[in-house]
Amino acid sequence: MKRLLLIALAVACGSTVSAATHAAAAPARVDATTPIQHLVVLLQENHTFDNYFGTFPGADGIPAGTCMPVDPSSPSSSQCIAPFHIGSNDVALGDLDHSSATHAKQYNGGEMNGFVAALNERRQDGRLAMGYYDDRDLPYYWYLAKNYVLFDRFFSSASDGSPKNHMYAVAASTLLKRSAQTSGGTAALRPTIDQTAPTIFDRLEEQGISWKFYVQNYEPKLTYRTVDQYPGNRASQVIWVPLLNIDRFIDNPKLSSHIVDSSEYYEDLKNGTLPAVSYFAPSGASEHPPGSIASGERAVRELINALSRSTSWPTSAFVLTYDDWGGWYDHVAPPQVDADGYGFRVPALLISPYSRVGTIDHTQLDFTSILRFIEDNYGLAPLAQRDAAAATLASAFDFQAAPRPAYFWSDNSTVTVLAKSSRRTLVYVAYGSGLALAGAVLLTLVALGTLRARRSRSYLHDSKQGGAL
Amino acid sequence: MAVRTDERVQQTALVSVSGRVAPASATRLRDDAKTNVLFIAALVGIAVAAVFVRVWQINALGFNSDESVYAGQAAAIANNADLKPFFPIFRAHPLLFQTVLSLGYRMGGGDLTARLLAVATGLATVYLVFATARLLYGRKAGLAAALFIALMPYHVIVTRQVLLDGPMVMFATLSLYAVARYSMTGRATWLYVAGGAIGLTVISKETGALLLGSVYVFLALSSSIRVRARDIAISLFVMVIVVAPYPLAVLFSGKSSTGQNYLAWQLFRPPNHGLLFYPTNVPEAMGYLVIVAAIAGFWLHRRTSSWRETLLIAWVAVPVVFFELWPVKGFQYLLPAAPAVAILAGRAVGSWSPNAAFHVMGISLKAGGCAALAMLIITASLILPAWHGIQPSESDEFLAGSGGVPGGREAGLWVNANVPAGATMLALGPSMANIIQFYGHRKAYGLSVSPNPQHRNPSYEAVANPDRALRNNDIQYVVWDAFSASRSSFFSNSLLRYVARYHGTAVHQESVPARDADGSTIQKPVIIIYEVRP
Repeated sequence: MKRLLLIALAVACGSTVSAATHAAAAPARVDATTPIQHLVVLLQENHTFDNYFGTFPGADGIPAGTCMPVDPSSPSSSQCIAPFHIGSNDVALGDLDHSSATHAKQYNGGEMNGFVAALNERRQDGRLAMGYYDDRDLPYYWYLAKNYVLFDRFFSSASDGSPKNHMYAVAASTLLKRSAQTSGGTAALRPTIDQTAPTIFDRLEEQGISWKFYVQNYEPKLTYRTVDQYPGNRASQVIWVPLLNIDRFIDNPKLSSHIVDSSEYYEDLKNGTLPAVSYFAPSGASEHPPGSIASGERAVRELINALSRSTSWPTSAFVLTYDDWGGWYDHVAPPQVDADGYGFRVPALLISPYSRVGTIDHTQLDFTSILRFIEDNYGLAPLAQRDAAAATLASAFDFQAAPRPAYFWSDNSTVTVLAKSSRRTLVYVAYGSGLALAGAVLLTLVALGTLRARRSRSYLHDSKQGGAL
Repeated sequence: MAVRTDERVQQTALVSVSGRVAPASATRLRDDAKTNVLFIAALVGIAVAAVFVRVWQINALGFNSDESVYAGQAAAIANNADLKPFFPIFRAHPLLFQTVLSLGYRMGGGDLTARLLAVATGLATVYLVFATARLLYGRKAGLAAALFIALMPYHVIVTRQVLLDGPMVMFATLSLYAVARYSMTGRATWLYVAGGAIGLTVISKETGALLLGSVYVFLALSSSIRVRARDIAISLFVMVIVVAPYPLAVLFSGKSSTGQNYLAWQLFRPPNHGLLFYPTNVPEAMGYLVIVAAIAGFWLHRRTSSWRETLLIAWVAVPVVFFELWPVKGFQYLLPAAPAVAILAGRAVGSWSPNAAFHVMGISLKAGGCAALAMLIITASLILPAWHGIQPSESDEFLAGSGGVPGGREAGLWVNANVPAGATMLALGPSMANIIQFYGHRKAYGLSVSPNPQHRNPSYEAVANPDRALRNNDIQYVVWDAFSASRSSFFSNSLLRYVARYHGTAVHQESVPARDADGSTIQKPVIIIYEVRP
C-alpha cells in the first residue's frame, strides 16, 4: 500500500519536475547502494532470444524438434518450418513485420504457433521468422554471454513494436494516450503523450543524480514536433529517444542538455565524468533487420571497450538488450502481466566487473527491471506499477567478489591458436634426444680414440723395450 | 689425415718455445712456477674483465625486438601462459638456445636470467679463444687473444643480449678448436668432434652452416692437411645427427612450411642495408687496432705462415664474403669471424720470442717489449668503446642487435598494467610490436609489415587493412616510436594519420634525455601510446 502511494505521488509530481539540476555530469547527491555507480543502458533493435541465443549451450533455447506450422489453423496440415541458421538456405533477410497485430497472431493465444503464418499473411516470407544466428555470426555477443551474464527470461515490456517498448524502458509505461495506441507507420512517430507522467530521468533529476541520454548522430532539432521534416530512418530518433516526445525534455534547456551526441560518451569516459545513469540510442548500427548485425556488434563492442578502458569501469554496469522481438520466433510464451504485455523474449546481457562469470540468469525480467535496479540503487520511488512489481537485475551481480578487470575480446585466431597449442614436449624430446645422442656418439668416439692412442703408445713402448733387449 | 714432416717439426718447435718440454732444472722450475702464477693471474684478470663488461648494467634496458622474440619463444616452450599466445615456438630459427633458456623460464627466471645465459656463452667463447690461440701459437698469444675477445665491443655487446649469435659463436669457436686440434694431431676423433660442434653451431643458428664452407676452404687450400674420406663421412654423420632435431621438430610440429617460407624470403628479399654496412659498422665494433694487429701479424709472420693462418683466414673470409654478398645484413652476423680475428691479433703480439729484436732506422727494439706495448695500446683502444657500448643507450635511434631499446620495457610494462587484456595494438614496425607483445602481453602488429606475403618476412603477421581494423575497433591502441620513425618517415606519417583520424589520445609516453637547440637537456619522447576508436 505504501508503495502504491509512493507511485501515485510520484506520478502526480511528474508534471512538476524540478529543473534545478544541472545538465552536466555533476556528482550524485545520493550515493549508490551498490558498487555500481555508472549504469549504461543500450537498446538495440528487433531480435528475439531464440534468434540470437537459441542454440547457446545451457540457455533456454530452441527446443529440439521444433517445427513451426505454416498454417496453425489447420491441425491436419503437416507443413512446418524448422529453425534454420540464417544464410544456410535461400531465405532472404528482410525487415519482418513487428506490429502488435502480428505479435498477437504469432502469440496466438499462448499457442506460440503463428510465427510463420502471421508473416505470410503480411505477404512476407514467413519462413524467415524461424531463422537464427549463432556464434559464427555473433562471436562477440556469445563471448559476452560466456563470460558475463546472459538473461534467458528477459521479455520485452510490451507486445508491440519500438515506440511502446522504448517508453517502457524509460517510464515503466507506454505514456501513450488512447488515441495514439497504435504501432508502426507515421502515427507511431507522432504519438500523443501523457506529458505529466514521470520518467526515470525525472526521478534522477530530482535527486541530483547525474544522467545523460547519448544519441548517435544526434539531431537536436528532430523531435516529435518536427518529425515530418525528416523522412526515412532518420526519424527513428524520436522513437529511440522517447524523451524527444516529452515537452519538458525538449523545451527546458536544463533537461534537454542531458540529451547529447554520442561523442560526449567518449569525452565523459575520458574525463571521468560518466553519469550515474546513461541511456544510449543507436543510429545506423542498431541491428534492425535487414541491417548488418556484424556492424551492430562492432558498435556495441566499441561502447563496451571504451567503458572498459576508462576509470569508470570498476564501478560500472552495461546492459545490452533489444527493444522488441522484430517478428522473429521465440519459443517462450510471454507472461501476460497487464494489457500491454509482456512481449516476446529479447536478448539481454549484463556486462560489469561485478557481474557473475558466465552465468545464465533465469530471473523473469523486462525493461522495467532496469528501472527497478536504478530505483533500488538510489532509493528512488517507482514510476508505475510495472517497475514497482518488476524483479531487479540484482541477481546477476556478485558484489561479494572483487571487481573483474576489463578484457577486450578479439577475434584474433593466431592468438587463440597459439594459446591452445602445446609443442613444448616435441621440442624438449627432439632437441634433448638429439643432443643426448650426439653427446653419446662424441663420447664414444673420444673414448675409442683415447683407447686407440693408449694401445698405440703401449705398442711403441713394447717395441722400444723389445729393441733394447 | 697426415701432417707433413716439416709441419711436425714446426709443431715441435712451437711446443719447445712454450717451454713444455724444456729440460728441468731447479732454476727453471722456479721460473716456470712463477710464470705459471703470472699466467693464471693474467687469465683470472681477463676472466674478471670479461665478466665485468658483460654484466655491467646488463639489465638496465629491456629487450630489443630480437631478444623479445627469442625469449618469447623460450617462454612459449616453457608453456608460459602469458607469452605463449604471442610467440609461436616454430618461427624462423633453430631452437637450441631457446630450449635451454626455457628451462630458466620454467624455474621462474626473467630478463636477467636470459641475458646471463647469453653472457655465459660469451665467457665460454673467451675461454675457447684462449684455448685455440694457445694451441696454435702458445699461451702468450692465447692470453692476448682472450683479452682482445674479452674486451672486443662487438663480442661484448652481442653476448650481453639474448641473441642466437652468442651461442652460435661459442660453438663455432669450439669447431675452430676441434679443427685446429685435428690438424695438429691428426687424430680423426677431433674431426668428429668438429662435426658435432658445427652441428651445434647450426642448431644454434642456421647460418652456422657457413662453417662448413670455412672448413672446406681450409682443407682445399692447406695441402699439408690430408683427410680420409671415411673420416669426413663420419664427421658429417655426427653433424647430421646433431642437426637433426631442428628439421625433425619442425616436421613433426606440422610447421615445415615456416622454415621453407623463411628461407625463400631470405633468398629473395630486397637488401636491408647497402654494401658499406659492414665496413661502416663492424671494424669499429671489432676494434680497429685489433684488425690492424691481425693483419700486421699476418704480414710480419708471412714467412712462417702455415695451415694455421689458412684456417683462421678461412674462418674469417667465408662469413665476411658471404654476408657481404647476402642481401640481408645484420650487425651481429659477422661475429663468427671475431674469434679468428682476435686469435690473429693475439698471435701478432703474443708469439714473439722475448729476445727477438726489430731494427727500425738503426734502432734495435726488443720484440717482447714492442709486443707488450702493442697489447697495452690495443687493449686501451678496446676499453673505451666497450665501456661506451655497455652504457644504457639514451639515443632515439637504434641499430638492431646493438643492445636494449630505451623505454621499450617500460612501455610494455605500462601496457601490461593499464591496457585491458585482449586489446590489440598497432605499432609502427614489427620491432616495437615484438617488444610490446613481450612485456605488454597484448597482441601487436607492425604497420610497416607488408600485407603482400612476397614483401614481408613470413615470421611477421600483417594487418591486411589497418584502416578497416581501426574503423572496426579491432585495433584499440596505436604505438609510435622514434626508433622505427627514424627508419621510415612514410610509415610514421601514416601511423600518425590514423591517430588523428581515429580520435587518438596519447595515454602514455616514454622519453629519453636529449639536447635541444640551445644545449639544454630536454626529455624527448621516444615511445607514445595512443588510445584510438572509430
